[in-house]
Amino acid sequence: MMSNFDSMVTRQRKWMLYWLAILVLCAGFLPYTRIFFGLILGSSVSLYNLWLLQYKSEKLGKTVAAGEKARSGLGTFSRMATAVLAVLIAMRFEEHFHLYAVIFGIVSSYLIMVIDFIFYQFTMRNQKED
Amino acid sequence: MGALAAAIAIGLAALGAGLGNGMIVSKTVEGIARQPELRGPLQGTMFIGVALVEAIPIIAAVIAFMVIGS
Repeated sequence: MMSNFDSMVTRQRKWMLYWLAILVLCAGFLPYTRIFFGLILGSSVSLYNLWLLQYKSEKLGKTVAAGEKARSGLGTFSRMATAVLAVLIAMRFEEHFHLYAVIFGIVSSYLIMVIDFIFYQFTMRNQKED
Repeated sequence: MGALAAAIAIGLAALGAGLGNGMIVSKTVEGIARQPELRGPLQGTMFIGVALVEAIPIIAAVIAFMVIGS
């Protein structure tokens, strides 16, 4: 059986990939390509950030549970650097990427995380009551 | 002035995030070391907490670079 953390990680990745797929479809078929390209750039960076945070938390938990000393951190600076890189790309190629769309894309994984967490708590509470 | 604004924004955001993240991770490590069988739920809580704390400094870094670039 999957643990609580593993199932949460899988759910978040799944929602993030669904979101990216919707964006790709929108960029292909809708006229606002600049905004959707920005959203795709931001969300791709966001997916990488999400994966990195999940990987590092898992690694830290395993290391501590094994009784060893944790040597690596949680990768905060890597995540900041990728976000800044996305913004720099958007500012350099302004004709292809909408800057505010890129920023919204970067935040999208956090929004998905919070919505998923609230939704999961809500469904668990309903299941307990039944 | 733009560079000063960027420096203050990113510095204060990093200060807050550092304190918050430090508290979250230290308590989680303590908890897991005491009860390794609770690793799953504790990791999940730490993950959500770190993500919420970290969203603000990432946005601050982005805003700082926008201020410098404009």
